[in-house]
Amino acid sequence: MLPFGYAVRNLYRNKTRLAQTLAGSALVVLLVMGAQALNAGMRRTLNASGSPDNVMLLGAGSEESVQRSEVSEQAAGIAEASLAGVATVMDTRAVSPEIFHMAYLEMPDGSISRGMVRGVTHRALLTHRRVSIQEGIFPGPGQMMVGRLAWKRLGVTPDALEPGTTILLDEIPFTLSGIFAAPGTVMESEVWMDLNDLRTAAQRETVSSVVVRLESGEREDVEIFARQRLDLELSPIGEKEYYERLAAFYAPVRSMTWITAVLIATAAIFAGFNTLYAAFASRVREIATLQAIGFRRSAVLVSLIQESMMTSLLGALLGSVLASILLTDRLIHLSTGTFRLTVGPETLFAGIITGVILGIVGALPPAFRCLKPSLPQALRD
Amino acid sequence: MSTSNDILVRCRGVTKQYKKGETLVTPLESLDLDVPRGDFLAMMGPSGSGKTTLLNLLSGIDQPTSGTIEFDGMEIQDLPRRKLAGWRARHVGYIFQLYHLVPVLTAFENVELPLLLDDMSRRDRRERVEAALSLVGLADRVHHYPRELSGGQEQRVAIARALVADPALLVADEPTGDLDREAADAILGLLQTLVREQHKTVVMVTHDPRAADAAMRILHLEKGRLQEAAV
Ligand SMILES: Nc1ncnc2c1ncn2[C@@H]1O[C@H](COP(=O)(O)OP(=O)(O)O)[C@@H](O)[C@H]1O
Ligand SMILES: [Mg+2]
Repeated sequence: MLPFGYAVRNLYRNKTRLAQTLAGSALVVLLVMGAQALNAGMRRTLNASGSPDNVMLLGAGSEESVQRSEVSEQAAGIAEASLAGVATVMDTRAVSPEIFHMAYLEMPDGSISRGMVRGVTHRALLTHRRVSIQEGIFPGPGQMMVGRLAWKRLGVTPDALEPGTTILLDEIPFTLSGIFAAPGTVMESEVWMDLNDLRTAAQRETVSSVVVRLESGEREDVEIFARQRLDLELSPIGEKEYYERLAAFYAPVRSMTWITAVLIATAAIFAGFNTLYAAFASRVREIATLQAIGFRRSAVLVSLIQESMMTSLLGALLGSVLASILLTDRLIHLSTGTFRLTVGPETLFAGIITGVILGIVGALPPAFRCLKPSLPQALRD
Repeated sequence: MSTSNDILVRCRGVTKQYKKGETLVTPLESLDLDVPRGDFLAMMGPSGSGKTTLLNLLSGIDQPTSGTIEFDGMEIQDLPRRKLAGWRARHVGYIFQLYHLVPVLTAFENVELPLLLDDMSRRDRRERVEAALSLVGLADRVHHYPRELSGGQEQRVAIARALVADPALLVADEPTGDLDREAADAILGLLQTLVREQHKTVVMVTHDPRAADAAMRILHLEKGRLQEAAV
């Protein structure tokens, strides 16, 4: 084996080249970590958004999209009256009729953004237990409250959404009554308002969904209820499953981020081939000399890979530091919600694996090319 | 008369051919050569006459197209390439015209390289390296990098590297070709000392008749064939 120190010192032979390969691998690692962090963040948020105790009653045939679903409001009352095992808080049953509506909202600064508006009653707080009001009060008629990340989604600064300001929905003014938190869920980027107000604004007679929180009851009870009351045309789906399906809806976004990451990484590897080829080619005779002394080709190959791995792992380290500075808790907003990039152990793992792959894959073709000429030929050069 | 035991390298009918595109080049043809132990052989001949090719064959860097090369009683022409690397490390030290030192390693580390192929303690290695470097007169340049040495000093480091693993044969391809008169004489004197005092066998290729005079025997290669001229 060639001494490790040989590989280390070879790194410093050309500082420009070292800087290039370092920067290149750092960038690729950062990119891969970004893709991983986005996917992890999306998965985490969507997983957290649904509660395992909650069942959504959607209109039959609209299981795919709560926004298209229509449920008669009557159904909420009937469900409340006839379903067993529903959670009860201070004599009120946790049955929440809700309207999901994508609407154009005019911000206090005059800008217009599209956002997810949920029409609710007080009972929403009984079913969505992650929701807690942080500032102000629950919206009554003529009022709205916003999730604490809604500003991002609506394209304004956080302080533009102070309680007391006015937001227009279809030119009707609503006063901001409060700000709520729902840690780690898509609800944090929603706007909540009074159910009746939204029904009027959206010109509909039905609600989108009735969310029921079960306590002692089973999912099966809800399904039996839906089957017994075919006239209500209800289709129950676990809230968790609903958001899991939503996660599947994001699969194309996820593949796009990965494909982009892989494409750029591939381009970087090809650039790395050239750089490393230049680095190794300038040492063909030296490599041949080592073989003349008695080192086997494999020993030389290992040394070249060590050299390349050191750069790529150093780059991975750099990329990881950059990732934790640039990506941690960064918010990305997509149509259904705002996702918080999650830089965790898995992200770091993805970064390190990328570094290892870059090191090995990047070194092999140039190393083979430089080891290919016959020994007498290489000594002659 | 020399018995077979006294012959370190014996070549019989050695031919080397290369394909150069469509044409076949034959740098060496049916060459017979005996190199006795303790010989200091100078090989002369015009450029392209096959001198380097012959050295490469003697040192196991290249293999003949046909013929046999016996080294210390063992035929090496058919050894697989993997084995040949280990064989070279034990039996031959190669000295190049342009020294071929590894620029990122110090004189000490360059000389140490062949010993890394053996299981040897760090201390034993250090003793061997220091002994080799003082043998070539560079005890005071141990931690210098090649770029901090003169050409003559570099070549002496290269000689120390070639002999540190104690091989029986040293081959040198125009070892003084890039040196001034004084440095060249010092190198030739060193090779003579190695033959005389360390019982090495040296095969040296040279253009320079003065360099050849340092040897015990001179052979002329002409178009791949030997033309013996007694000294
Ligand atoms: N790898 C090779 N491929 C093709 N021809 C070669 C190769 N190596 C040497 N030759 C040819 O063999 C001949 C002898 O070369 P060489 O042994 O280097 O001569 P010298 O060292 O005497 O100058 C030259 O004509 C050279 O072009
Ligand atoms: Mg030559």
